[in-house]
Amino acid sequence: MKKNKKELIKKIALYLFVIVLCVVILYPYFVMFTTAAKDRSEMYALEMTVLPLKWKWSNFIEIWSAAPVLRYFLNSVFVAGGATCVAILCGIPAAYAMSRMQFKGKTVFLGLVIMSQMFAPVVLLVGIYKLMTTLKMVNNLVGLILLNAAFNQAFAIWLLRGTFLTISPEMEQAAKIDGCGMVGALVRVLLPMAAPGIVTTLIFVFINSWNEYTMALTLMSTDTLKPITVGINVFYGFNMIQWQYLFATSLFATVPVIILFLCIEKHLVAGLTSGGVKG
Amino acid sequence: MKKNSGLKKLAPYVWMLPSMILMAVMILVPIVTVFQMSMSQITKAGVIKGFNGGANFKAVFASNTFWHTLQNTLVWTVVVVGFSTVIGFIVAMVLNQNFRGRKIVRAIVVFPWATSLIIQSVIWKYIINADYGSLNVILMKLGIIKSAVNWTPGANAYFAWECWIGIFVTVPFVTFCVLSGLQSIDDTYYEAAEIDGAGFWRKLFEITLPLIRQSLTVSTVLNIIYVFNSFPIIWTITKGDPADRTHTLATYLYKLSFYSGRSGQAAAVSVIGFVILCFCAGIYMILSLRAEKEDQ
Repeated sequence: MKKNKKELIKKIALYLFVIVLCVVILYPYFVMFTTAAKDRSEMYALEMTVLPLKWKWSNFIEIWSAAPVLRYFLNSVFVAGGATCVAILCGIPAAYAMSRMQFKGKTVFLGLVIMSQMFAPVVLLVGIYKLMTTLKMVNNLVGLILLNAAFNQAFAIWLLRGTFLTISPEMEQAAKIDGCGMVGALVRVLLPMAAPGIVTTLIFVFINSWNEYTMALTLMSTDTLKPITVGINVFYGFNMIQWQYLFATSLFATVPVIILFLCIEKHLVAGLTSGGVKG
Repeated sequence: MKKNSGLKKLAPYVWMLPSMILMAVMILVPIVTVFQMSMSQITKAGVIKGFNGGANFKAVFASNTFWHTLQNTLVWTVVVVGFSTVIGFIVAMVLNQNFRGRKIVRAIVVFPWATSLIIQSVIWKYIINADYGSLNVILMKLGIIKSAVNWTPGANAYFAWECWIGIFVTVPFVTFCVLSGLQSIDDTYYEAAEIDGAGFWRKLFEITLPLIRQSLTVSTVLNIIYVFNSFPIIWTITKGDPADRTHTLATYLYKLSFYSGRSGQAAAVSVIGFVILCFCAGIYMILSLRAEKEDQ
């Protein structure tokens, strides 16, 4: 009887904690959604409301003509997609060498890759801007692609190498005996087996590049070249802030990314916390 | 035959070449440039004019704003990483229990991690606005406060809110790192401990914490680097103002370089940032080496 009561209290405490947690986390998303559907006049009315008095769904359509929002989205897709391709194409062979081959300086290389994470783009911004000026890549989407790819290399190699290490090299050796070259064994045997890890890496790099703000803010001053993270600032002018448009656009930029993230979350965490440092 | 083995020795480097070139050009070159610029005189147009000794560093060290910024950066890093680690750990312990709706809660906890920092910051900027912000409206509707509260009366209040947003977006990462560690712990450990009569705290300190040390270390080290270098939150909420009182090194160097046209000093601040991070990395290496020795 006493034990039952204790169990019950524990259960109630657990649910209370979980409810508070969810309310706190969802609160900003609730604000984003309800404000996105408010009429502009409601935003500054004397009698403030939590929910919109009249749900103005047309905001979600108006944004596309109020500013070059579609352009921003296309730029984001191009930059994030391009960075993902470059990061994976460079990352796979590197991760392959680091997981399958023995060579001098392997530990040093691995150490350098991990070290490179210490240099976040912000701290290097002065140097990056200088480099991009020299390469004539300021206001250039390709430049942004290469930068995002480079700053995601460490994670890409880390995740890919971790995946490759979990797969036994025997299959590739068998393929090689059957006459496949090194490249053939990689493409036909290892990559299909490593598909879940590769997809995780792809999505993770895509999301990182999609959400990147600092480099884009510094390098992209031409309006038609801005990705969405920088572009939403148009609704944030000095004399008037269009909160409803700002949040409606933000919703479009957020929801797909959250869905993608939910798909890879399990693989991602396992990959990040294991495999990388030792070996 | 001999030629072949020579080629074979080269092979790994060839495989790594694309990745290394990409990182060398896009990361290593800027690092070198930053160091060079920190010791050079630079015109407003950004032309490097040659070595000027430690003049940039001297100018940075002579500025009161810099010392205040440095202090802010340490507070910001310690507070955000510290609170996030503790809260993230508790959330992970809860998510490791069995309860109805666990999968949904797990999914919700992912949200802040997947959302762009800039969007998250803009929403919070709206929430805490004193005139029309959502927090005041909700608290007034609930009858908790009578009239609108000014949530950001000064620099310290702004900075506290920035720390809160930092914690808010950092907790999920800790949670999922710890959770992956917790799920790899064998239940039999706890069963054995319960037979021995161990309570909650003893189980926590003698089983859980030692066994998830690896994941906790990874999340803490990575978080220190991210939070130390974090830019969008503070830039969105205050841009380092009022009166440059809420800067961290990241926003301060951005302002120096791209608003005040003092790239040389900005580069010097970058270098100071590196040195601090390298110092942290050094401590981490020593600690983990010592831990490894203890294990043997």
